[in-house]
Amino acid sequence: MNLQEVVATALLLSGCFFYIAGTVGLLRFPDVFSRLHALTKADNLGLLLICGGLAVQQGSPRIAGLLLVIWLLGLLAATVSCHLIARRALQMTDPEQRP
Amino acid sequence: MIALTIDAIIAIGIVWLALQTVRGANVFSAIIMFIVFGLIMSLAWARLHAPDLALAEAAIGAGITGALLLVTWRRVHVLEGRTPQVGMAARSLWLTLPTALAAALLIASLGWVALTLPAEPATAGELAWQRLPEMGVSNPVTGVLLGFRAYDTLLEMAVLLAAWLGARVVASELRPGALPGPAHEEVPLVGALLSLVVPISLLVAVYLLQAGGSAPGGAFQGGAVLAAGGVLLCLTGRLESADQTSLIERIVLILGLAVFSSVGLMMLPLGEPMLAMPGVWAIYLIETALLLSIALTLVLLFAAAPGLRRSS
Repeated sequence: MNLQEVVATALLLSGCFFYIAGTVGLLRFPDVFSRLHALTKADNLGLLLICGGLAVQQGSPRIAGLLLVIWLLGLLAATVSCHLIARRALQMTDPEQRP
Repeated sequence: MIALTIDAIIAIGIVWLALQTVRGANVFSAIIMFIVFGLIMSLAWARLHAPDLALAEAAIGAGITGALLLVTWRRVHVLEGRTPQVGMAARSLWLTLPTALAAALLIASLGWVALTLPAEPATAGELAWQRLPEMGVSNPVTGVLLGFRAYDTLLEMAVLLAAWLGARVVASELRPGALPGPAHEEVPLVGALLSLVVPISLLVAVYLLQAGGSAPGGAFQGGAVLAAGGVLLCLTGRLESADQTSLIERIVLILGLAVFSSVGLMMLPLGEPMLAMPGVWAIYLIETALLLSIALTLVLLFAAAPGLRRSS
């Protein structure tokens, strides 16, 4: 196993860790806001680490660039949908009990 | 070993998600399970080295169909004036068991017959593969769709148009009106998202169309991606329902069928069979027309409107 493979595997495994942590948070956290927090933060970082791992594994600047675009698009979609869901949830909660 | 594990997870996941789709606690969770089912299905196609099907399944099976199902679910509840908390229809054990047994028996006997059949030495696939270079496109899927089974593709477009006409008839009775919910209030982030994502969907659609000749892609995938951009514009209130189908919309709706049929008839006087492609240019012309028709049909189905106009 050369250095490239070691780095790629380490990045992929840590990416998987963030996905698992985000999923556990989604299932275990009590309300919409903390679930969104767990999901989006973990997924953004997890996706970055997995894209980074795949880029290192492939070792091609073109593929690395494409993976970067994929990550940025994922980031954009996750940010806006998280914002919209949180906004809707805030409108639906009782003003007295808002976090 | 790892590949086998991934395949096993996908195979088990497909069956489990299919069960969850049928047995969901309510219609909403069944729809969500169906969308996830489509995504796992597209992974399965990718694992089977069928990237064209994977793209189509992700864009049409999971994406557009999922959006259509979700918006229908929302509209049904608005029309019925109820809160969206309806369970699935009650299951009948007396119907479920015999149906499941009969289906299992059918699949088992079909599988047994398929296993005992002798392998066919020469199938149509081999013949099509050998004569693919005559088509002028190097992507075998596009070659088959427009060259070797053009009649099926033409009729698929006719089915799509018929589906839209059928939806029009139902919608004129039901009058579903504008999309319900608070989606139309302005959220600053949404404008930023649209200004990036809608041009990207156009770019990806044109790329898929252009790539279809030599790589995975084509009119159906491109049309679905373009329609996704249109669905976003409808959801965010940038496009709203018009009372009439405008002339341009009518032309675009039948463009795919019209261009495909006229190109298909063009070679008839020269003694060629119907739907013979006169050249690569014809394939790209037809694909472009199909893409526009598919995209507009899907967006109009989503909006459940006769036409669309830019909202004031």
